[in-house]
Amino acid sequence: MNVLIVEDERQLSHEIEIFLTKQGYQCDVAFTGKSASEKIYVNSYDFVLLDIGLPDYNGLNLLKEAKATGKESAFIILTARGSTDDKISGLDLGADDYLSKPFSLLELQARMQAILRRKHGLKNNTIEINGFVLDIQNRTVSYKSNPINLTKKEFDILHYMALHKNRVITRVQLTEHIWGDVLEEDYESNYIDVHIKNLRKKLSVQHNADFIETVRGIGYRLNMA
Amino acid sequence: MIREDFNSKKIHFRLFFHPLKLQVKLTFYNAIFQAVIVIAIGILLPIVIQRVVYNHIDTRLHARADKALKIIQLGGLENIVKDQECTFDDYNIFKEEYVSISPLSFMPHDFGKERIENLERNIGNEVVKHRVISKAFLYDNQLYQIEIGEGLSTIEQLNHIINKFTLWMVVIIVLISVLMNMTLAQVLLEPFNRIVTKKLKAIHHPNTFVEDHIKTSTYEFSYLDQSINEMMMKIRDAFQIEREFITNVSHELLTPISILQNRIENILSDQNLPHEVALKIVESQKTLVRLSKVIRALLYISKIENEQFLKNEQVSLQPLLSEVIEELEDRIQQKNISVREQWDCDFQLKNCNKSLMHTMLFNLVSNAIKYNKNDGEIFISGSMKDDCFLLSIKDTGVGISEDQLPFIFDRFKRFRPEDDVSYGLGLPIVRTIANFHNIRMDIQSTPDAGTDFTLTFSGSAV
Repeated sequence: MNVLIVEDERQLSHEIEIFLTKQGYQCDVAFTGKSASEKIYVNSYDFVLLDIGLPDYNGLNLLKEAKATGKESAFIILTARGSTDDKISGLDLGADDYLSKPFSLLELQARMQAILRRKHGLKNNTIEINGFVLDIQNRTVSYKSNPINLTKKEFDILHYMALHKNRVITRVQLTEHIWGDVLEEDYESNYIDVHIKNLRKKLSVQHNADFIETVRGIGYRLNMA
Repeated sequence: MIREDFNSKKIHFRLFFHPLKLQVKLTFYNAIFQAVIVIAIGILLPIVIQRVVYNHIDTRLHARADKALKIIQLGGLENIVKDQECTFDDYNIFKEEYVSISPLSFMPHDFGKERIENLERNIGNEVVKHRVISKAFLYDNQLYQIEIGEGLSTIEQLNHIINKFTLWMVVIIVLISVLMNMTLAQVLLEPFNRIVTKKLKAIHHPNTFVEDHIKTSTYEFSYLDQSINEMMMKIRDAFQIEREFITNVSHELLTPISILQNRIENILSDQNLPHEVALKIVESQKTLVRLSKVIRALLYISKIENEQFLKNEQVSLQPLLSEVIEELEDRIQQKNISVREQWDCDFQLKNCNKSLMHTMLFNLVSNAIKYNKNDGEIFISGSMKDDCFLLSIKDTGVGISEDQLPFIFDRFKRFRPEDDVSYGLGLPIVRTIANFHNIRMDIQSTPDAGTDFTLTFSGSAV
């Protein structure tokens, strides 16, 4: 998977690059709109992560240009302006998703995977964890064909942890994923813990659910071979 | 009970001072001024008229006295008597004028001088007031006094009539003038009313201000109009600067936060990270998220106050609230709270921003959950009252004490229990959104019993 990171803030593009490289993506970086425009023209990328607040270029124009070349790249807009106008015009111009800064790298990866699934219309749209089967399309979980009744948020948590299996996900990251942009305050509250507790309870009715590990003081990890 | 009513101060002010309309004042002062003039004329006019009349009579009397004395010098006293062909009484039917010459027994101290005074003279059994000129003279070695009198009764009557007539005229003129003044003041002040309605009352935000000129031929009003235009331009510029500031802050603060947050995530993904260090980094992550949330909340409030959100959507409250409750279902279940709803009718809010309305209701319901007791209740009711729709969200939670109620909408005020982790921006956001949509908020709360937020929407129900 080739990713072009268009971001004039070098430290930020560096962090994104480190993360995505670790996840197995081939990363290319452009710090200006001009070089981004050239790179998009010459190369083929699966993803373009586009900061629309570039100093030399209106990111939205860049998006328009790139779309005009007819290449199949997926665009994710990154912005610190947080303006809904930008979001709407970005999506209107054919961007696939939109993230406002600051965003979580895990969230970025989850969005990229969702775009992939959408684009390629994956038939086998399921994840299997220790015999539990997550159907991403229909948002259901079952164990040996026995359906498990999860709430929307419990499913989201399980799905997110499965996407980032074998790595610790902090409570903050989980909260951000579930509540997203909601401007509401009690991010430190124990809602996540209660959700995990309920999730474990519901799963262990069917089978041992100790693959969800609590990492003391930090968060949770879904262990999977 | 707190009423979010920004007009209350103004109303109080009116009650205490009760200022008068300029038109009334002008008319009132004018009337007082005219009344003073009328009274002055009423007092002075009779005096002046009398002066003028007496002057006139006196001149005539002098001339007559001179003429009489000349006749006596030339032809003697007999000549005068000869001249008269009728008796004195016959001649003087109306007792208006008389001439008398009588011998004097002593020499008056002002001999040779003429004296003029008002005297009562008995003529033909009738006492009549006269203006009398008298002068002593020598004739044939005998001392005489000549008196020529002119009756005053007719003149005084005339005086009286003139005075009365003039006074009435003045009163009528004053009344007409007051009326005209009133009308004139109204006509003159009309541009003022236009300036206030068009330029000040109709403007809710400097961006909606149209810089045109109110037509007026009065310099002061055109000056006022011009000054308001200039002021609004300044305010508009200030808002524009704030808007740019918001964009800059968003970019310049959120970008470094973004770098830090992503770096922390990368550090945490390191498998070899000692647990003790990981704990500290997670704490830093929390702090960073808190910083970013505060900045985003403040920007959000500023953007609403700066009217950077459109109000072009329609929203039905009942489905919107159901949506919010569904989103919060997990938290409601976790606390085993029961939600009861009672809708007399639904309400459709026109010209609003759906996303803002959603945030407002979300924060209110989330508050009602957060500060509720386990196994508590949330009671939501919607009803019409006097052309307004009332939406009440009532919880059975910890409540807010009366001395804290006035501050619950203040930014960064925290007064809930000690373990509260909020930073006091949830309710300020609610208030800002409510103000933006002209929704009134009333709060009633009893400590340990619960809090009731009532939103009042004006307009008609669906």
